[in-house]
Amino acid sequence: MNKQLALVIRVCVLTLFVASIAACSPAATQAPEVTEAPVVTQAVSPTDIESDAAPIDVTLWFHGGSVGESDTLRAQVEDFNASQTKYRMTINEIPGGAAAGSGYNDAVNAAAVAGTLPDLLDFDGPFLFNYAWGGYLTPLDDLIPAELKADIFPSVLDSLKFDGKVYGIGQYDSGLALCGNKAILDEAGVRIPTSVDDAWTFAEFNDVLEKVKGVGGTEYSIDLKMNYGAGEWYSYGFTPVIWGNGGDLIDRSTYQTADGFINGEKTVAAVTWFKSLFDNGYATSTPPDDNEFVNGKAALGWCGHWMTTTYYDALKENFVLIPMPNFGERQATGNGTWVWGITKDSKNPEGAMAFIEFIMKPEEVLRTVTQNGAVPATFSATEQSDLFKKGGRLSIFGEQLARVDIATPRPITPGYPVITSSFYTALDNIIKGADIQTELDAAADKIDKDLKDNSFYPLK
Amino acid sequence: MRKHVSNLSMSHNQKARFQKKALLFLDYLVMIVLAFFFLFPFWVMAVGSLKPEKQIFDDLKSVIWAFIPREVSLENYAYIFNRIPFLTYFKNTLVIVLTTIISGLFVNSMIAYALARLRWKGKKYIIGAILALTIVPLETIVVPLLMVSNKLPWFNGATSWLDSLRVQIIPFICDAFSIYLFYQSFIQIPKDYDEAAIMDGANPFVIFSRIIIPLARSTFVAVAIIQLIFLWSAYLWPLMVTRTEAFRPLTLGVTYLYNMDIRWGPILAYATLSNLPSVLLFIVFQKGFLRSIASGSVKG
Amino acid sequence: MKKQGYAQDNFFGWLMSSPALLLLAIFVIIPLVMGLGWSFTNKRLISPLPTEYIGLKNYDSILAIKIIPIEPILDDNGNPQIDENGSIQYLRVRDVIRANPKYLDFRLYTEFNAFGNHFGIIAKDPDFYRALINTTLYVLMIVPAIGIISLLLALLVNQRLWGVSIFRVIYFIPSITSISVTSVVWMFLYNPDQGLINQLLQKLTYDVFGFSPWLQSADTALLAIILYTIWQASGLFMVIFLGGLQDIPEDTYEAAKIDGANPFQTLLYVVIPQLRNTIVYVVITSSILGFRLFTQVDVMTKGGPEGSTLTLMMHTVNEGFRNQKIGYASAISIVFFIFILILTFTQRKIFKSENVLE
Repeated sequence: MNKQLALVIRVCVLTLFVASIAACSPAATQAPEVTEAPVVTQAVSPTDIESDAAPIDVTLWFHGGSVGESDTLRAQVEDFNASQTKYRMTINEIPGGAAAGSGYNDAVNAAAVAGTLPDLLDFDGPFLFNYAWGGYLTPLDDLIPAELKADIFPSVLDSLKFDGKVYGIGQYDSGLALCGNKAILDEAGVRIPTSVDDAWTFAEFNDVLEKVKGVGGTEYSIDLKMNYGAGEWYSYGFTPVIWGNGGDLIDRSTYQTADGFINGEKTVAAVTWFKSLFDNGYATSTPPDDNEFVNGKAALGWCGHWMTTTYYDALKENFVLIPMPNFGERQATGNGTWVWGITKDSKNPEGAMAFIEFIMKPEEVLRTVTQNGAVPATFSATEQSDLFKKGGRLSIFGEQLARVDIATPRPITPGYPVITSSFYTALDNIIKGADIQTELDAAADKIDKDLKDNSFYPLK
Repeated sequence: MRKHVSNLSMSHNQKARFQKKALLFLDYLVMIVLAFFFLFPFWVMAVGSLKPEKQIFDDLKSVIWAFIPREVSLENYAYIFNRIPFLTYFKNTLVIVLTTIISGLFVNSMIAYALARLRWKGKKYIIGAILALTIVPLETIVVPLLMVSNKLPWFNGATSWLDSLRVQIIPFICDAFSIYLFYQSFIQIPKDYDEAAIMDGANPFVIFSRIIIPLARSTFVAVAIIQLIFLWSAYLWPLMVTRTEAFRPLTLGVTYLYNMDIRWGPILAYATLSNLPSVLLFIVFQKGFLRSIASGSVKG
Repeated sequence: MKKQGYAQDNFFGWLMSSPALLLLAIFVIIPLVMGLGWSFTNKRLISPLPTEYIGLKNYDSILAIKIIPIEPILDDNGNPQIDENGSIQYLRVRDVIRANPKYLDFRLYTEFNAFGNHFGIIAKDPDFYRALINTTLYVLMIVPAIGIISLLLALLVNQRLWGVSIFRVIYFIPSITSISVTSVVWMFLYNPDQGLINQLLQKLTYDVFGFSPWLQSADTALLAIILYTIWQASGLFMVIFLGGLQDIPEDTYEAAKIDGANPFQTLLYVVIPQLRNTIVYVVITSSILGFRLFTQVDVMTKGGPEGSTLTLMMHTVNEGFRNQKIGYASAISIVFFIFILILTFTQRKIFKSENVLE
């Protein structure tokens, strides 16, 4: 018994010893990375003096989600590091998409609390106002070189301003339209619009949904990408239906209340129509994965720019991009997308800006948009792009964004995180069978409560 | 129990034998059906991970094929290893879980021993406090804990514990629930054991290591396993405190895959890979595990 | 000699407790005290607005709840309006709340009919009550379910049959896998149209038991999570019951048989009383686990549909971390502790087990 015991204790002690060494050794090797964190950085290493000798470390976070985007960005970081010796960019992919409750947002919030945000951060457009208001970000106006500023489309730059200052820069703007399987649409005998000027009317769109159902072996009419689940996709993808019917999520003139807007008559009508897509069998609320459209389950797809490359590769000449239809009062689509911002505590804003300048070069912008199908945000890149010039495969995206009466930004307010989460939660419940008016009322109450709790987000 | 059903009167012998056989058959039938319930998610997961994406869903339609691997393809696994630093994650999880468990066994059993078997002032209050703390879930203190962890120094000069392995280890070493289990077990060991040792002049450390630990060995194993189960599932905390891939545990890897562009093939492959080590470990050591956890957790 | 031995106890008691006490102080007590302090403020995670002391306002916002009568809608003749189904049309609760300044900040929780009248339950934080009820419901279902299933499993595999240890291993395996990973796998199985569970049920029952929306409907989502938890956790409790069963002396069974007890009576009058401490342990542990429910909900449903799977933990993390209202979330945590503390002590009183700590 005693011998056994001695053995057990020895084994335990040994394991503990080995394990603690293992636990400490990465901590030790990690030491330089700790000093990399903004809080500690320059207090420890005198990089200012030695900047010629050793490259300055700059850290970057970006949201995981799309394999293609991730690969492209990683390659761009490598090229940036190879192109100069002053800065060394470290890339860090964090899982999860936009919206409160996703891994990415959780991680950004946690880092903001702890004061350990990286130098450079990407975030979805409308979150900019919240991050800027909360003091996560630094204004970029003094950092952006004039020629870069002049190269970015003014509409895009305007959408990234909060309280008169620019807080974000993006390589591209988002595109949202319908995509169709040409063979099936032809077989069903429907007209395929080729420009925003001859988009489907609301009646025509409803007619199309009925006509294409079941044609060419499809199971339903349109793939709404419900596999993304309740999240930013619902707000980004489906508020155009509400805008197109004359509704909105919040009072845009004052940003002081959502009551009568998110639960107003026009919004309710739009959501009722949207819900009917599922009830009429035009769409499914439970697709098993991301491939319904390419697998031929549906003739049409609600299509964000990030899907266009995959879809085109699968369908080739059968892939058509169709402008968003009229949803009652007008045609409508969304805009705004993931952009880059520099954090307030960044010790190397110049290094972060150097990277932004690098990826904003026309060839780098094209490299990104060729992969993800988004609309270039600079004049220089658009000039050189085959995809987006008149008649190009994705020119519809550009046409839509150029029309302020079609492309509508999501609410421009620091309260956006609660607006979006209230809306997508309500919409999710509605799709799963809850009462439309009750859910939208609850969303209005939640948004109004948050506005009140934050003294209506006053500017400093 | 049932094996004792026998030797009634001779005339009933045959009937009894038949009954016994029928019961036996029923037992096995029930056990096999239950085994199916507990195993099919793993089986479907492993089989699915070997198929290309489109085939996974086509095969689900026919049900039977969902259980049968066809042309085995490792592309999903290749995808995992190309995209995710799986081995780093695996190593992190292993280091976190093992270090926490082993140091936890020492720390928690020692205080439990002091509380259960030594007479000292103040222990009554500590027992009460620990009992109350068994119900504190991590989620309710997660924000203040994050702030505390951010302000702690470390030997290498760092002034924050965030983004490290220690922040995933040290806060969880001392666990009120484990102390409670040890206390329960130690309090039942008859007093005579240590009184004899005290007569011989042994100090509490000696009594603890020479007498109590050997007697309560199965409790140690039981606590270790229960801790293993909790730690292996850690999710919210690592999400909040890790920044870089060097320190992420296995559980976070799946959120990389369960994203906008869901591809079930790689998800199933990842799930298979990350469950494999603990399942294998368990199968190898199952005899000792089951016996100890059974006799260690509660004594009637 | 003996006395001297006990004199050392004071020193060794503190010495041997100190590592644990130090760790508990830093990583549990300090955060708890910080949370308690914050619960009286409107502290936000990150905000340019100043933090203010607001007294018990957070607690009021959490707990405030009222039942109010709702009047029917009257037609021109002063009679209640009737809809096409023949039921009386009532005013919308939300309109009643907004018309009355007394109900400022209240929101609709639910409405019901009783004693021929219509009532609305309104609360300042309906989600808190939703979470409280879901969590309680979950505990009330999972504790007996896990208890009974794991006891039956233990009885089954406690027999000396050939190959029985293989079955023990199989039933225990789900317990040692990680919840966030297997939750994702179960989402795959639960998919209503293509998931294996529905397909399997349809095939096995020849479409009699056809389609269940599982995680997609407010009626079934909590059940789906319970089913997953049973799959995930009953092996662990089975093993604990096995331990209890193996401590019951063989001759107890013999004695029962001589007394002419059938297997069911043996179970009820011999086995269960002998397992009393094990049962207490299983009930307490599984209810603590039940109140902590978070990971599988966060992965599988995020609290939806219609808040049907929102748990207290989920609500706390949502409010404090994701909506950044940590003052408010800290107050929820405090309410939660008090709630559990009362429950746990009542539970222990009910079992009156001498074996459990004072």
